[in-house]
Amino acid sequence: MKLKKIVTALAVASLSSFGAMAQADQNAYADFPVTVKDYQGDAKHSVSYGGQMARHVLHTSLKKLAAQGNGQPNAELKAKMMAYFEGTDAGREILSPTSKGGFVIAQSQVDELSGKKNLAGKAYKGAVTSWPGNMTGAEVLAFMIDKASAADKGYDSVNGYDYAQLISKFTMGAVFYNQAVDNYLDEKLEADTKPNNKAYKDGKPYTGKEHVWDEAFGYFGVPAHTLELTAEQVYNIAKGKEDALSVADHNGDGKVSLYDEMAYAHGYYAAATDKSGKTDYLHTITKAFVDGRQLISDANGEALTDAQRAELKGHAKVIAENWEKVIAENVFKYAGSTYKDLQKITSILEAGGSVGDDYRNYIKHWGELKGFAMALQVSGKDLGETGVQLNRLIGFGPVLLGNTQVTGIDAKGNYLQDSTVTMDEYMLQMLKVQQLMVDEFGVKARSKDVLAGMEKLVEKLGAKAASAEND
Amino acid sequence: MIETLVSDYLTELAEMFTSPRKRVFVGYLVAALLIGMLWLRWRFGSGWLSGCRQMLSPAIWWSSSARADYQILLLNRLLMMLISPLLLSQVVLATLIYQQLHGLIGNPPLPGSLLPDWSVMTAFTLFFFLLDDFARYFLHMLMHRWPWLWAFHKVHHSARTMTPLTVLRTHPVEGVLFALRSVLVQAISIGLFLFFFGSQVDLITVLGVNVLVFTFNVTGANLRHSHVAIGYWKPLERILISPAQHQIHHSVEPRHYDKNFGAVLAVWDWLGGSLHLSERDTPLCFGLAANVVEGEQSLKQLYLAPFTESYQALRSAGRHWLRRAARGAVRMR
Repeated sequence: MKLKKIVTALAVASLSSFGAMAQADQNAYADFPVTVKDYQGDAKHSVSYGGQMARHVLHTSLKKLAAQGNGQPNAELKAKMMAYFEGTDAGREILSPTSKGGFVIAQSQVDELSGKKNLAGKAYKGAVTSWPGNMTGAEVLAFMIDKASAADKGYDSVNGYDYAQLISKFTMGAVFYNQAVDNYLDEKLEADTKPNNKAYKDGKPYTGKEHVWDEAFGYFGVPAHTLELTAEQVYNIAKGKEDALSVADHNGDGKVSLYDEMAYAHGYYAAATDKSGKTDYLHTITKAFVDGRQLISDANGEALTDAQRAELKGHAKVIAENWEKVIAENVFKYAGSTYKDLQKITSILEAGGSVGDDYRNYIKHWGELKGFAMALQVSGKDLGETGVQLNRLIGFGPVLLGNTQVTGIDAKGNYLQDSTVTMDEYMLQMLKVQQLMVDEFGVKARSKDVLAGMEKLVEKLGAKAASAEND
Repeated sequence: MIETLVSDYLTELAEMFTSPRKRVFVGYLVAALLIGMLWLRWRFGSGWLSGCRQMLSPAIWWSSSARADYQILLLNRLLMMLISPLLLSQVVLATLIYQQLHGLIGNPPLPGSLLPDWSVMTAFTLFFFLLDDFARYFLHMLMHRWPWLWAFHKVHHSARTMTPLTVLRTHPVEGVLFALRSVLVQAISIGLFLFFFGSQVDLITVLGVNVLVFTFNVTGANLRHSHVAIGYWKPLERILISPAQHQIHHSVEPRHYDKNFGAVLAVWDWLGGSLHLSERDTPLCFGLAANVVEGEQSLKQLYLAPFTESYQALRSAGRHWLRRAARGAVRMR
């Protein structure tokens, strides 16, 4: 009798935990069934975004290489960087992320994720107005790579550039953000492009729309089971923290797969921003991706109706708007860091001191600011006046110690410097950049807010001034 | 939409009595009642019960004037709820002030480099209180001196009997002006202090309210609009406005006209020559004039008449100005 009870209890417990697992997996961006009508192969699932993950590791590896110069022109380093940027050859090693202590990474070669992929072919094709030289996205990145290969650990103190930051932040925009919001979530959602009643390509286990949606998801750069994780956990996974292995390793093989268990690029920045507790970009965007994928899957290999496409575009809109906000939050944050660095530097200079690390930090933070600001402008949407203001406020380079700034490049690609504004005036411009992000993008997390405390004070003094009390 | 509006409205109404930030917070009302009863006992030897009865008399609390107060209160809450989101926000103006200072002075000092935290807090609390009190005095004075504003402010002065709720007997145009005054004062204080002291800036509070405002409210501020004429020691009445002094401000007696504009401090009136000390044993009559005019407490009259009167005042001021300009032009020739 007793044994019977124990067995029943165990059965109930295991059934309910199985139920919980099934429930949990519904939230994952994985295991969607094959819906292609005439599919002959033996694939069990239709989700596929290996090419995007290969590009993520090409980017992280390129960032690592960008900080490896010795201050002299270095053709070998440049060629290696270009292999990750432009090349498609087999045999490229993943330079970052790599295993660290107990945080074991499953893949070590780019080809394990997808072969013959590069970044250059997918970079923004329009003119980049936030950088001198009237170049396309790919040309700007190639220009930066050339400069980085000759810089000292990616740092150019004379012109004020940190190339690892510039290349990394702009790649995220010009490749991942642009491809997702300007291509996959835009024209490829139209009825006559990549329809849902045909395989994406003959013999593939996924339909046109399924794969289009998967590719956009891949570029965002989050683990497939993100909806089961907190922003803090996703952040820790991207940082490769040893104790993050257990939350990253969803399939329990003891390793972190760079395909569906790692966080990259703007997915990582969404998590980092949400850690403040004031925003929920990570889950909002991921949920819209999961819901959109479910909608396509539910169409069961039939062409999407206009109503279904309208609903799908609704999810795409949520993704694009929140993705843009993630970038704007980081423009806000790094404008604040730059402001604070300048505050320190000008105080030290006034006191007659020397600015070693503070100047290096300033250039690093400026590089992040500039990279995110450049990324914000390559979504295919014309930011109009906002873009012009942003570029004028930030300029082509940071204001340097002699109050000069890079104002352009000559025909040979050398930087031109001129006196523009003082560091004090430039600080005010950084403040205005923050204000622009609040006014135009409604940023909420507002990390490194120069005017932190203002809203708290307004609240304390009585936010609702309109009380109509007489005297 | 309508549901949220109704629920917001009811919440705001309730907040007027439950939030220590509001003048008619129930705690302050109870404090005023106790202070009034103590005063009546000390000054006239009234018993506790009779003092209480005198203060809560239906002749005061259910007069036609008091009933108009309640109607105005209910209607204004709704109007202000709709208008206030349209007004300039403190944050926008404070940011602008901060940026202007940045442009004029250069970069702000590092936090902590000028003064220690406690003195920044004290200075901010005091500065805000003084600027706010001065702004209240100044706007109030203009409301009396400029005929086109007086047309609106008359609504407040048309009260014949006064209860603490008379503080909310305000024409909505005046309500908007008060809100803008408050925005300006907050923005100047915050913009200025945040620029010079950054993250050090904070307010000294009791129950979440500026400690000085709390002190003013808890020590019987609500008796200003009442029939309990508490006067202070004369030298103190040059520094702080007593309830009796504010009641003089509401008196129909011509020699009391345009006196005691101040809210908390009397020094502004003292400096501006409009101070009038309390008068012991002078019975006061409240209102615009001694004679009661037919319909003076009707809502229609109170809300609409000020617009025509203000327009006429502006038109006659315009004509007057044009005549003067024309005369000046003739003389120039």
